[in-house]
Amino acid sequence: MSSGAEESIASEMKNLLGELLEVKIPRPRRLHIKVKPEDYKRAAKHLVESIGLNHVSTITAADTGKEMDVMTFLFGRGVEVMLKAAVPKTDPKIPTLTDIVPGVMFYEREIHDLFGIVFDGHPNLERFILPEDWPEGEYPLRKEYKVTRLKGPREVD
Amino acid sequence: MSVTTFKVPVGPQHPALKEPENFTFTVEGESIVKAEVRVGYAHKGIEKLMESKTYLQNIPLVERICGICNTAHTICYTQNVEYLYDKAPPRRAEYLRVLIEELNRIHSHLLWLGVVGHEVGFDTLFMYVWRDREIILDLIEALTGNRVSMSFTTIGGTRRDISPQIESKMRKGMDILEERTEYYKRTVPVDPTILARSKEVGILTPEEAVQLCAVGPMRRASTLRDDVRSDDPYAAHDEVPFNVISYDTCDFYARIMVRVDETLEAINQVRYCLDHMPTGPIRIRLPNTPPIAEAVSKVEAPRGEDMHYVRSNGTDKPARYKVRAPTLANLAPLLQTMTSRGKYEVNVADIPVLLAGIDPCMCCMDRSVRFVEPSKGKTWVWTMEQLKKYTRKSVRRPLSGNVAGR
Repeated sequence: MSSGAEESIASEMKNLLGELLEVKIPRPRRLHIKVKPEDYKRAAKHLVESIGLNHVSTITAADTGKEMDVMTFLFGRGVEVMLKAAVPKTDPKIPTLTDIVPGVMFYEREIHDLFGIVFDGHPNLERFILPEDWPEGEYPLRKEYKVTRLKGPREVD
Repeated sequence: MSVTTFKVPVGPQHPALKEPENFTFTVEGESIVKAEVRVGYAHKGIEKLMESKTYLQNIPLVERICGICNTAHTICYTQNVEYLYDKAPPRRAEYLRVLIEELNRIHSHLLWLGVVGHEVGFDTLFMYVWRDREIILDLIEALTGNRVSMSFTTIGGTRRDISPQIESKMRKGMDILEERTEYYKRTVPVDPTILARSKEVGILTPEEAVQLCAVGPMRRASTLRDDVRSDDPYAAHDEVPFNVISYDTCDFYARIMVRVDETLEAINQVRYCLDHMPTGPIRIRLPNTPPIAEAVSKVEAPRGEDMHYVRSNGTDKPARYKVRAPTLANLAPLLQTMTSRGKYEVNVADIPVLLAGIDPCMCCMDRSVRFVEPSKGKTWVWTMEQLKKYTRKSVRRPLSGNVAGR
């Protein structure tokens, strides 16, 4: 793989979206890009369809306090690109990528279960990982969710 | 169409392996028209747990994500933490990692080939293969002290070194395994039991494999030549030569052959590592707290691309850790292979082999089968055992072309 593919992808994304919120090349074959949530779908579509990063390794999220980062990992041309967009915790909505890459179906359902992020336009956002009787509105991977009920064995008298 | 449709639930007891997940198949007579999946029966909450443990404490935890491909997860985790420090382990440790990873691949692929033999009703193959697999387990035990959970890799290198005695033992073991695997490679293409259940079964076209983001042997059996070891080399894979295996029949047969060939490649890689093992230390010491950073690490596990993501926050515990095991990536392609579409027809009796085809590891990710026939309002559940019995009784449609002559 040609070195410099990271830079050329980064500059192509700049041409498309103007200034990016964050561009990092932490090591060879890795590129981290942060975009505004409204640009997220356009950026992903461009990466997949024009630049040719057609393999989505996964989609995941991380709780950063007031916001949650949605991260999509795309691979192609020898570069693993992390496309990041922050959504507010009060209204965690981001467009779905299922119409661009059908393979992300389960990743988005998983993140919807565990973080409560709503993927607009997803054909089927039903429970996937969590049990049916899991309480609505509790998202285990958010920072405010503490594992307390499960600690230690029950005391026997 | 006058045939009525049924919905058939399969699970949560697995039709093929010993882990729970639930499938619902909508069937028209024998033919499956729609497949749905529900997982999570073995969800362990490891990602949440990792946020409450230190980087070092997380190594044994990561190792227990998956029993069979534990090495892949540990290597992926440790190199991910090393990426945070931006430090690389000593070269000898990188060679030892490739060595143990390829030993793990041989063990995993042989285990799988045995299971396939069992699923198609060829138990002699199962017993042969699992007997030979003992060789590799003994070698792994000699090198690491454990047969399965190897506890070999650690942050900054490996925990153990290889001795000349183990090295010579390993060379002998590889010779026997090579001879045996060559024998299986000759057997699979001519054995009528395997061919009847594998040829033209569970087609995944290259276009579908790309769109649905298939990984690993599943992807390579659909003509695509993608392998993390060659596309994004880690550890010593930039030096250890190997051929990326791919087959162009896109069916279950191709998935068997890809794994058999990969076993042979892995044997050669083990030999190369033994021949070219650099001298020097096996571990560097790193501070307990990595700098604030994000890192993405990928490893070609026996089942395909394994991806980890870590975010540190300046403490000795990760702020977020994400594991995407290969089975989750292969679920969408699996459902596709289990759906009749156009000229490809999938029957109820194909279910066990197709499930086994992705080499699923649900604990890395979940089994009984539910069948539904809406027009009659009929629903019934089969355990895997019942489904397997059905599979062995039912006769497959005649094959097109001269298969045995290949």
